[in-house]
Amino acid sequence: MLAAGWFTLAAAPARAVAQVADHQYSTADIQTGSRLYGAQCALCHGQNGDGVAGVNLSRQQFRRASSDDDIRSTITTGVPAAGMPPFRLQPAELDGLVAFIRSGFDRDATPFVVGDAGRGKAVYDGKGACATCHRVAGRGARAAPDLSDVGAIRQPSALQRSLLEPSRAMLPINRPVRIVTREGRTIRGRRINEDTATVQLVDDGERLVSLSKSDIREIELGTTSGMPSFAGTLTGEELADLLAYLLSLKGQ
Amino acid sequence: MRISLRFVLSLAAVFGLSLPVAVRAQVTPERLDRAAAEPQNWLTYNGGYDSRRYSTLNQITPGNVKNLEQKWVLQDQVFGAWESNPLVVDGIMYVTERPNDVIALDAKTGRVFWLYRYTPSPDARVCCGANNRGVAILGDTLFMGTLDAHLIAIDAKTGRPLWNIAVADARLAYSITMAPLVVKDKVIVGVGGGEFGIRGFIAAYDGKTGKEAWRFNTIPGPGEPGHETWSGDDWMHGGASVWITGSFDPSLNLTYWGIGNPGPDWNPNQRPGDNLYSDSVVALDADSGALKWHFQFTPNDGYDYDAVQVPVLADLEWQGRPAKVMMWANRNGYFYVLDRVTGRFLLGEPFVKVNWASGLDPNGRPIQTPQPPGMPTWPGNQGGTNWYPPSFSPRTGLFYFSVWENYATIYRKEEQAYVPGRNFLGGGFTVAAPAPGAPTIGIGRRGPINNWTNEVGSGATVALDPRTGKRAWTFPQFDVTDAGMLTTASDLLFTGGREGYFYALDAKTGKELWKANLGGSIVMAPITYRIDGQQYVSVISGHTLVTFALRN
Repeated sequence: MLAAGWFTLAAAPARAVAQVADHQYSTADIQTGSRLYGAQCALCHGQNGDGVAGVNLSRQQFRRASSDDDIRSTITTGVPAAGMPPFRLQPAELDGLVAFIRSGFDRDATPFVVGDAGRGKAVYDGKGACATCHRVAGRGARAAPDLSDVGAIRQPSALQRSLLEPSRAMLPINRPVRIVTREGRTIRGRRINEDTATVQLVDDGERLVSLSKSDIREIELGTTSGMPSFAGTLTGEELADLLAYLLSLKGQ
Repeated sequence: MRISLRFVLSLAAVFGLSLPVAVRAQVTPERLDRAAAEPQNWLTYNGGYDSRRYSTLNQITPGNVKNLEQKWVLQDQVFGAWESNPLVVDGIMYVTERPNDVIALDAKTGRVFWLYRYTPSPDARVCCGANNRGVAILGDTLFMGTLDAHLIAIDAKTGRPLWNIAVADARLAYSITMAPLVVKDKVIVGVGGGEFGIRGFIAAYDGKTGKEAWRFNTIPGPGEPGHETWSGDDWMHGGASVWITGSFDPSLNLTYWGIGNPGPDWNPNQRPGDNLYSDSVVALDADSGALKWHFQFTPNDGYDYDAVQVPVLADLEWQGRPAKVMMWANRNGYFYVLDRVTGRFLLGEPFVKVNWASGLDPNGRPIQTPQPPGMPTWPGNQGGTNWYPPSFSPRTGLFYFSVWENYATIYRKEEQAYVPGRNFLGGGFTVAAPAPGAPTIGIGRRGPINNWTNEVGSGATVALDPRTGKRAWTFPQFDVTDAGMLTTASDLLFTGGREGYFYALDAKTGKELWKANLGGSIVMAPITYRIDGQQYVSVISGHTLVTFALRN
């Protein structure tokens, strides 16, 4: 349901603009790629894509390729020096492998469209106002998780889920927390770590706070994210562009 | 010689010292039989043949446990989870570290006497942790199984190898991770490799020569009883590993062993039948290896619920009569009590949420309720509990172990052909997560930040009443826990968890009496021993073995 909504939003502009068609990845393509990968590639590249030194396919780390066409050509020509044979595949099979790799090995095969990262940055800074809460490379607020390397650690499907249904996509560790101490002080913030005896958070003044649970009278974890859904406020094209920008954030 | 001995003895008398090493006896089979009578030592993997991990030492008490202080630490020089159980013999500790090093050290100061380093063959393949869980001792000889499936005898005084034999072929992914079990003149080991399509076995070797005395195949071959529970050639690579040291009852001359899962792990359809003796406990004659009885916990397992637990032996009053029982909290989420003379099922109760079975029949056989594809199965892949050693205190009558609560897995079955030495899993699994793509729990802790959180599953230290199978108390932990247990005669329970806290709990109530943050996961049981009148407690946390005693 969620995925379908996103696809409808994104598909129309993607079809209209010919040059982004290369960056549209359908459920069928990802599933084709997943099957093919398991049969043809996993033996050397591993179930998680990290079986060959210096390459992590699910995290988009390649020795040679950068564009989708680069990936296609590496598959069809092989890398004889490294022991990778050339694969003779149908165009649809190649599209599938590219889609599966670009999806970050998303076994749920959620479709996604990647737009233009430059335009996406403008959405991030402008209409999306993302820096109000998030931080990238030292710029922005610390209320919400730092996104400097989010493109390296999240699948595209997870990022678009966060943009469309932030509460449903919120990782448990990031839950907003409200704590009342035994002395009656109320602390609000975002949880960043917890164990049996203590909890750590960033409070609303952006301070790192660690509390012993024996000093806490009341602790409440919120299940609703403070982040708004962009399903209705951004166009499909803007969402595709914003996704492209987030995927481009690979950290240092 | 006589003069010097007298001199030493007189010194001991004057200064109140313990007996020096020179006059200490060898570790005879009789001493191993009566390990409980020498609580100053920790002579076998589980502290004694009954595997209770209960010590009669009582210097550390609920009242003074807050005065524990760190006496020494030993830093592991090798990267990787440290799951070794130290032995302590007359003041000397023997502990292993990855991959197959043995260290002898002064158990009072932590200073090292010698280090023996064995490098396993590069052919060695270990699925889920290239660990070694410790050595066994007989006489003046230590015994270690290796990751390349060798058994090595080592001189306990010099650290030099005496003999080294191949137990199985490492190229077929056989391995040994357990501490051997010494019974009389024999050294008994089992082999790992169930995730690679091995055919498991338990074998006994002469402690002096390394000559094989007997072998028991954990999957019966053609013509043997139980072979009919396999179809076609499945038995040849059906797994049934032996990961964990067994127990021994000298009065019955029986050894008891937990057997691992059948292979391929997650596709039971591919190996129809009960798949004996996978996921079973077997009772073997200590002299001949002959099977006396077996009990299978999980027939035709599709969840990797291997019976990788320690058989805990006790003599209890059972429904008004004295009974020789075996207590077993299984990975499949059920706690069992069996008659260890006959293998008869006495009791079985779930101790965590279970939905792979709706219950047990009067013989203890599960009524299996496989979940539809894509739906979660409780308990998850790592089980309601796992290999971490439990404890039984005869004082409290309670059985203590680590559990994983509210933890589920979604399994995926696939046909898979056996290829020698390769993974043989038959599918895969994902851990049920509260948000799509959220971090989940796996084997071992992934770092100091708990970003999977208790919404994926959490741990607890649990005390169970074996007469009812119900919990007497629960000590919840935020993260899951792989820690083993130690109980003492002062009703203390020592344990830990993945978060690195080392706890002393009141064994009667579960109340926390003391804790120390040791900073690394505790994935083994603590041990206790005594030197010069002082009781010590040792535990491994992360890459550090820490030894505590009361402040002097």
